[in-house]
Amino acid sequence: MSKYLAFPEILFKDRRLLVAALAEIGFADVEEGDRLPLYGYQGDRRPETAEIVVRRQRIGAASNDLGFTRTPAGYVPVVSEYDQRTLLAGQFLPRLRTAYSEAVVEEVRRRVRGTTQRTVESGIVKIRVRY
Amino acid sequence: MPEIEFTIDATTGDLTMHVKGVAGPACEDVAKLARELLGSPGTDQNTSEFFVHTQVGRQIRPHLGA
Repeated sequence: MSKYLAFPEILFKDRRLLVAALAEIGFADVEEGDRLPLYGYQGDRRPETAEIVVRRQRIGAASNDLGFTRTPAGYVPVVSEYDQRTLLAGQFLPRLRTAYSEAVVEEVRRRVRGTTQRTVESGIVKIRVRY
Repeated sequence: MPEIEFTIDATTGDLTMHVKGVAGPACEDVAKLARELLGSPGTDQNTSEFFVHTQVGRQIRPHLGA
């Protein structure tokens, strides 16, 4: 009854939760490092670098590497237009954001030592954390 | 009992949270944790209960353990 916050941007603040969210939607095999190179589907090196990378070999023959670049605000996805359109039937980013949001809720529950009640209705997930 | 209600739109991944039953600065502790994990919110709005004064000794604070 005190505060209301909305998070509309595609930005992943926490590295550990991002990696967990990727695993949750089927991309458990990631490389982590600093300024890792990204490669296109023909093996061509792309100009972008990233700190978290899913290699194209783990995705599909026509896919490019997926990357997440660290910025002061958090990790920003570097995903080709092709992969945004085709990966998980075009639902890669929405599903990743949903998995990340669920990981955030679990982390908050753990930190406040609370209990959760979860309901799903018409694509809307409501999770109440009581503590 | 303090409660945080999270709403996730599974079609977009958009998340909103509503902190209930926590008046004043203790509510800000929860918001700070959310910002730590989610970044700066696009909307950050105090609702009326944020401004309710709590009595000394009756204030409820979240347990923000590791």
